[in-house]
Amino acid sequence: MSRPAPPPRQLGLTLGVIAVLATMTLWSAHGIGFSVSELVCNAAGGSRLLRESWPPDFAFLPRLIGPFLETLHIALIGTVVGAIIAIPVAVLAARPVSPNWLTWIIDRNFMNILRTLPDLFWAMLFATAVGFGPLAGALALSVFSVAVISKLFSESVEAIDMHLPEAVRACGGSWLQMVGLGALPQVWPQYAAYVMYSFELNVRGSMVLGLVGAGGIGMILETQRANFEYERVTMIILSVLVVVLLIEQVSASVRRRLA
Amino acid sequence: MSAAVRRFRPGYASWATLIVGALLIWSLWAIEASPERLARLPAQLGTVLGFFWPVDWHYGHTRVVPAIIESIQLAWIGTIIGALISLPLAVLGASTLFPWCSRVIKGISAAIRAVPEILWAIYLVPIVGLGPFAGALALGINSVGMLSKLGAEVVESTDLSAMQAVEAAGGSKLVAIRLGLLPQVLPELMAHWLFRFELNLRASAVLGVVGAGGVGGLLLNTLRYRQFEMAAAVLVLTVLAVLAIDLVSGSIRRKLLRGG
Repeated sequence: MSRPAPPPRQLGLTLGVIAVLATMTLWSAHGIGFSVSELVCNAAGGSRLLRESWPPDFAFLPRLIGPFLETLHIALIGTVVGAIIAIPVAVLAARPVSPNWLTWIIDRNFMNILRTLPDLFWAMLFATAVGFGPLAGALALSVFSVAVISKLFSESVEAIDMHLPEAVRACGGSWLQMVGLGALPQVWPQYAAYVMYSFELNVRGSMVLGLVGAGGIGMILETQRANFEYERVTMIILSVLVVVLLIEQVSASVRRRLA
Repeated sequence: MSAAVRRFRPGYASWATLIVGALLIWSLWAIEASPERLARLPAQLGTVLGFFWPVDWHYGHTRVVPAIIESIQLAWIGTIIGALISLPLAVLGASTLFPWCSRVIKGISAAIRAVPEILWAIYLVPIVGLGPFAGALALGINSVGMLSKLGAEVVESTDLSAMQAVEAAGGSKLVAIRLGLLPQVLPELMAHWLFRFELNLRASAVLGVVGAGGVGGLLLNTLRYRQFEMAAAVLVLTVLAVLAIDLVSGSIRRKLLRGG
């Protein structure tokens, strides 16, 4: 963006876009019951809640250590399992190395559909299938990680220098040898960075999985919320904030060295 | 590329694999995922998957579609709130323009982003009442966090000479931003807003779990009462809606970034 964008050609187009945006906004605001008067009405209840939720209950902190560890276990399993499955998914979805057109189309659509569902949906599904607990959370984050990593990684694989894989092919290498020796070694650093990135997302995601019964710190959060123990809720949310920021800092510094 | 390959020494990789493997085994042990339990998984998942057929289209038509529309409205309002508030913050947060202010704004936005939107909703539901309004505010807060960070980065990477020209011609800082900066950054900022809209749509789908409106509450309830055919309708329609919106939003984003 070194040069300023050209001014809009027609006034009509600009006005049209603004009209569409305004209509969407008004329609949405009406649909969700956006009202300032309601905000003012609820302000009293809201301020009471805020008073109750401060100061945070520091005595509650020791009881959070176990659930936090569980949360990190879930995030780690989800990331590792997802990262392994994402390799074949990403390779088959990368046009230059994909073995044939049909595999490519099927895998691409599979990836796109996988990406549409949020992590908490997977958590609800797995909690129903395998029962409440951390295993459901780990499975949910595995699927979610496949979605995140395979999308990013397949774009990296598509951008590789194809001379190397072609050379492996020309020497009589099989498709697997071409991918393993010619294609993937070029993109391992990016892969490692994407895995770290997905781990960051998973740490954040694993904090809320417990809301639907999939283990971790969210389970405690859900019970305290249901009992209106808001000074404990504040304590939990503050510690989530600290843990997430810490892990992000570490992971981001590793990623910077990889990239 | 070759530089990156050289720096990534195999020695690191095998150490990393070893450590991650050890952590993985510890974690599996900690969450009691024994080999027997894992061996039973595929059969278990297969059985449950079978329950999802046939899809209950009547439920889909009468209940899921309105809920998805509510999710879309929620995501839209959240995005609008985020875009409006983040625009000034993006300018103030640019270290090239306001170095001191930038640190404060970036710190706040990092803190906002660290808390998942559903946790914001937990606070907002009691304050503004059950329903989509709380969800929209939660999405708005989180969007502000992300959009002001991305926006500040866009502003930081912009060529400031147009702004300096306006100032040299006697324009105030505000006029310089309006005429020298915004026309350059607006397309890219709008692309980020649209991207955030796509993310908000996915996030709005889950807010229903804490009673903040949208389609997530339906999925939670249908699964809880084992109404799998209804849950299937929720899943299929959500996938279709998200795919459709991604398609439209993605094509507009590409147009914006091409400058067309």
